[in-house]
Amino acid sequence: MTEITLTRLWLMRALFAVIVLVVLLFNLLPLTTAPRFWAGPDLIMSLAFAWVLRRPEYVPLPIVAGLLFLADLVLGRPPGLYAALTLIAFENLRARAPQLRDMAFTVEWLSVSAMIVAIMLGYRLLLALFMVPEAAPALWLIQLLATVATYPLVVALTRFGFGLRKAQLGEVNALGQRQ
Amino acid sequence: MKNDRSQTEDFTGPLKRLLAAIVVIALLGVFVLWRIDSPRVERFRAQVVDHVLPSFEWAMVPVTAGVNLLRDFQSYQALHAQNQELKRELQTMKKWKEAAVQLSQENARLLDLNKVRLDPRLTFITGVVMADSGSPFRQSVVLNIGSRDGILDGWAAMDGLGLVGRISGVGRRTARVLLLTDPSSRIPVTVPSSGQSGLLIGDNTRTPTLDFLDSPDIVRPGDRVVTSGDGHVFPAGLLVGEVAIDPGGRMRVRLAADYERLEFLRVLRHHGQERIVDPGQLVLPEVLPEPDSPLELGQREQVQGDSDD
Repeated sequence: MTEITLTRLWLMRALFAVIVLVVLLFNLLPLTTAPRFWAGPDLIMSLAFAWVLRRPEYVPLPIVAGLLFLADLVLGRPPGLYAALTLIAFENLRARAPQLRDMAFTVEWLSVSAMIVAIMLGYRLLLALFMVPEAAPALWLIQLLATVATYPLVVALTRFGFGLRKAQLGEVNALGQRQ
Repeated sequence: MKNDRSQTEDFTGPLKRLLAAIVVIALLGVFVLWRIDSPRVERFRAQVVDHVLPSFEWAMVPVTAGVNLLRDFQSYQALHAQNQELKRELQTMKKWKEAAVQLSQENARLLDLNKVRLDPRLTFITGVVMADSGSPFRQSVVLNIGSRDGILDGWAAMDGLGLVGRISGVGRRTARVLLLTDPSSRIPVTVPSSGQSGLLIGDNTRTPTLDFLDSPDIVRPGDRVVTSGDGHVFPAGLLVGEVAIDPGGRMRVRLAADYERLEFLRVLRHHGQERIVDPGQLVLPEVLPEPDSPLELGQREQVQGDSDD
């Protein structure tokens, strides 16, 4: 029994890493090399949030930190800053996951949206503080709205595509810890 | 059993928080280090991209090809209209081709008359575009050629027609090309028809702005823009595009390169221009005159002036 749950634990962790890598890969495909007027959602961020609110043990900190830092490097962002801010919000959500578990989805959506807004604002502010030149704010606003708007879709995919649901009261997770 | 676990939970909780704090501080440290010593961290980034992207390539190439195939398939719907349009364009093209052939012959004749020698050191390496920047805030592409092919930072990349960008970041097997449309791209250019030089400044739109011209009034829309070679980074005279004026009255450049689909890029080998450093020396007679008397000096000069004539 423990063998199976342990295998499943590591399989799900690997699945998360693979999904993030696939998202990165689709971002990098050279389909449009002309500048765009729109920006897609930050799927890596919303995926991480959706998973940590459902099954925190599937998204351990070192894996998420490594993937976020890799995304920073590969996508040409200033390395480290965006990853650090996302990680702070991520750990914050992990700590609040037990309370959010019993609430309606709207509450979860609102708190995640607040986190996303905080990350993006903090990122822009810190970049301005460190005098790093950045793109037009319109693009950022579009990305922010897109990330917030697509969060329910990401959750639906997580729930029905990968079968991750919130733990019920008294359920025991893959590590044998009571939720 | 249950007790044990809650105890380990109590024990690992603070440890996990400590780990999170350490990771966050390390990431912020990398950011600050990047701000202080950018070249070193950017070299690290180039190395990471160099390892990651080639291992993605097996997946990226078929997916890109598939999506492009789908797009091409969609364009079949407009095939008939496109065909008609192409035929019309072909007619105009034939006229232009005739004109171009005549001009090229004339040009060859004139070059021959003038004994003009084009720069023989301007050769190029062609690379395939592997990936783009992956984010709408940056405009760059990654080529599959790198330091093992002799690519150096700062070299110019062109498609068949016009300038596309410059090399910025070289790994062993990959090199990043910063496109002219990137917000951090600055290229010295000149408008040959009026002799004005300025800077081409990318701003994340399809048409970068043209700024710092001496007198913008004499530059007209439609004028050709080429690189000026100022700053000794770029070869001079590469075609960039033509001047256009946006509704806000700002001067922009419509790029000659086809940015919609960058597939193959030429990277021009450029080993720097020779500089003229000394201001030019006096041409002296072989035997210097002795400073005897001002009269004799004057005579000598007169004699020399006569012989020059």
